[in-house]
Amino acid sequence: MPFDEPEIDDPQELVGVELPGDETVTREMAEAFADEFAQIGYTRPQILGLFRRAEYTGAHQAWTLLGEEAIGRLVDESLAVWGRVRYVVTDGVADGAVPEPLRLFRPRS
Amino acid sequence: MPTVKNWQLGRDMNYPYDARFPSRQFAFVFNINRCIACQSCTMACKSTWTFSKGQEHMWWANVETKPYGGYPQWWDAKILEKLEDANPGGQVWGGTPADGRDGPYGTFEGQTIFEAARQTLTPDSARVLGYLPTDEEWNYPNIYEDNPIGKRGVRNKLDETGEKLPVHSTWFFYLARICNHCSYPACLAACPRKAIYKRPEDGIVLLDQAECRGYRKCVEACPYKKSMYRGNTRTSEKCIACFPRVEGTDPETGGEPMETRCMAACIGQIRMQGLVQMADDGTWAEDRHNPLYFLVHVAKVALPLYPQFGTQPNGYYIPPRWVARPYLRQMFGPGVDRAIENYVSPSRELLAVLQLFRRSNRIIYKYEIQEGPKIYEGSLHGRKVELYNDTVIAFGKSGREIFRTTVEEPIHVRPNTHANSI
Repeated sequence: MPFDEPEIDDPQELVGVELPGDETVTREMAEAFADEFAQIGYTRPQILGLFRRAEYTGAHQAWTLLGEEAIGRLVDESLAVWGRVRYVVTDGVADGAVPEPLRLFRPRS
Repeated sequence: MPTVKNWQLGRDMNYPYDARFPSRQFAFVFNINRCIACQSCTMACKSTWTFSKGQEHMWWANVETKPYGGYPQWWDAKILEKLEDANPGGQVWGGTPADGRDGPYGTFEGQTIFEAARQTLTPDSARVLGYLPTDEEWNYPNIYEDNPIGKRGVRNKLDETGEKLPVHSTWFFYLARICNHCSYPACLAACPRKAIYKRPEDGIVLLDQAECRGYRKCVEACPYKKSMYRGNTRTSEKCIACFPRVEGTDPETGGEPMETRCMAACIGQIRMQGLVQMADDGTWAEDRHNPLYFLVHVAKVALPLYPQFGTQPNGYYIPPRWVARPYLRQMFGPGVDRAIENYVSPSRELLAVLQLFRRSNRIIYKYEIQEGPKIYEGSLHGRKVELYNDTVIAFGKSGREIFRTTVEEPIHVRPNTHANSI
């Protein structure tokens, strides 16, 4: 944790380094997070919750820059494709046992 | 110095020892597109292996924010700069990415850390170009990164408005890292005690604590800085790839090889780890239905981290699709454009294999796909998407089925109170 003030004469300090980026990059990053978490079965409130939380800084920065409404639209676009299905994982079982499918995350209603 | 074949570089290179390859190699794929830096992997490793006195600075698994973060600080920028100084303007790739297993990313025309060492270092016994990070660089796993912190002087309490830092419009991503258990380990090459060895059964690189005298040559040599010195034992330590789990000798495994702690703890489901078959020449033997082989050599979406260092690392990454391509090409080599293209427009098989990530903590040796009907066709972000109800079945070491993943379309059950409504 950077409790000390930056040392101006330290040649290793990052000073004025430009990393080009704009709204397009932020939107692409937000799209990627929305797609990925929609694919692994998260619901709309769960994905939006991820964006709202300050601890998940990448997602949260996109939410701050683009706003709740724009992020909501991205999430809806992702869920319109990936939210159509639910992945069901069934563990292999020993002979004679009954397999118990695990329906991942996404509730029925 | 012997010559060995490095398939990631598409050419032979110098290495202090003759090539020796394990029958299977510990390897992993991380999908960076999914990583949100929750640090579950970091803490799973820390709480298992490095919680003791003298290990406070040891983060065998860590997640850093790129491009400005790193643990130790500036580890990659520093070694890249040293290589550039040794071979100004010459650290470039030639050729074009190809389809074969040998040289799939073209040919690296620059110098590896082993080759640069021969020309720039004295005495002759110095085998690897590297550097020893300072104590300050080891101090903070996430210095200047995006973690909320407390007010200065106030311990154990987050700043209540700490998240309201200036928002910079820039790109960044999270890079999860562990030891790459390289095929040509720099740590092993540099150790004057020969205390570091690569296991013939799984290629895991271990550091013999009884042999180590703490010279820190491995710390200096490892370009990924994943060997760390412990002051109170005066020896160095490194990631052991949770080998009791990988062997299947940990009581929890029930004899079936199990993925490492950092893999199993991943809530973003970005990680898959396995044991790939090796050919006699050090390339991966053809194993079409091993998921790691598929991701690296067939779908070509997973790429090695800084292959130009020359250690032939066994950690592979699906690069983040939103990041500036020149930066990604430097980090993952010239295969980046093809990898991202293949990932954003996934094949039917790739979509199925991505469903194998983190469905079980057992190591998957083989998968099988039972094709089902197409259930959706449309577009997303301007690209065509097709979904199939395919069943993906994962098999373990013994050939026994570990699990299967199917797709289920939602069924809407009308509530009783409106049973007859339209």
